[in-house]
Amino acid sequence: MTYFKRFLVIFISGTVQVFFAAYLMLELLGFSFGWHLSNHNIMFVPGVLVFLGAAYLTLSYYFLDTNKINNALYDEFTALRAYKLGSIGYGLNGMGIFILFSIQDWSNWSFQMANSMIYQIAAFAWLVFGVLLVSFSIGDYQESKSG
Amino acid sequence: MGRSHEKLLNNLEELRKSAGLTQQELSESAEVSRKSINAIENGIYVPSTVLALKISRTLDCKVEDIFKLP
Repeated sequence: MTYFKRFLVIFISGTVQVFFAAYLMLELLGFSFGWHLSNHNIMFVPGVLVFLGAAYLTLSYYFLDTNKINNALYDEFTALRAYKLGSIGYGLNGMGIFILFSIQDWSNWSFQMANSMIYQIAAFAWLVFGVLLVSFSIGDYQESKSG
Repeated sequence: MGRSHEKLLNNLEELRKSAGLTQQELSESAEVSRKSINAIENGIYVPSTVLALKISRTLDCKVEDIFKLP
């Protein structure tokens, strides 16, 4: 594993998640694109990518790489970067949920609308997670470039 | 003292250079990324106690020689 390989794995997982989550989010909020995903099974793709990416990172950490490489790729400064991004994600989710609560039509509330709101919250959280993955991967790309 | 964190002054860059080490060499010896060493030198990051001790061991000096409270 190198910084560039980790960048590729996380960046691809992140951008695919951002794409699907943004699509779902906008659909749930009633925006129309003029086109739709013809096969909804394709919505599994981001989940599968994250699963495979995480499996590859775990395998390379425990079985494929040397301690020297792992020390560099998973040191405390990288952990701090992940914690900071996690905190930003937590804050963004909080703001997003607040906004999603604010835009609901509470005067005509129904179980269907509650269900729809839960989907919106899930799609937003998914979108934030994708953005965090992309942000983290950019740090790896910068490190790969600086050698 | 070089560029320092507001809560921790450091002398790492000078001591590293006087020991004849590059950031990469120091990072390998201290078992962290080169970016961590760079971040510490530039006052962006305050290292853990373990990392501070590993750096001081590599540079053959006391932790207090590298890091000081402002």
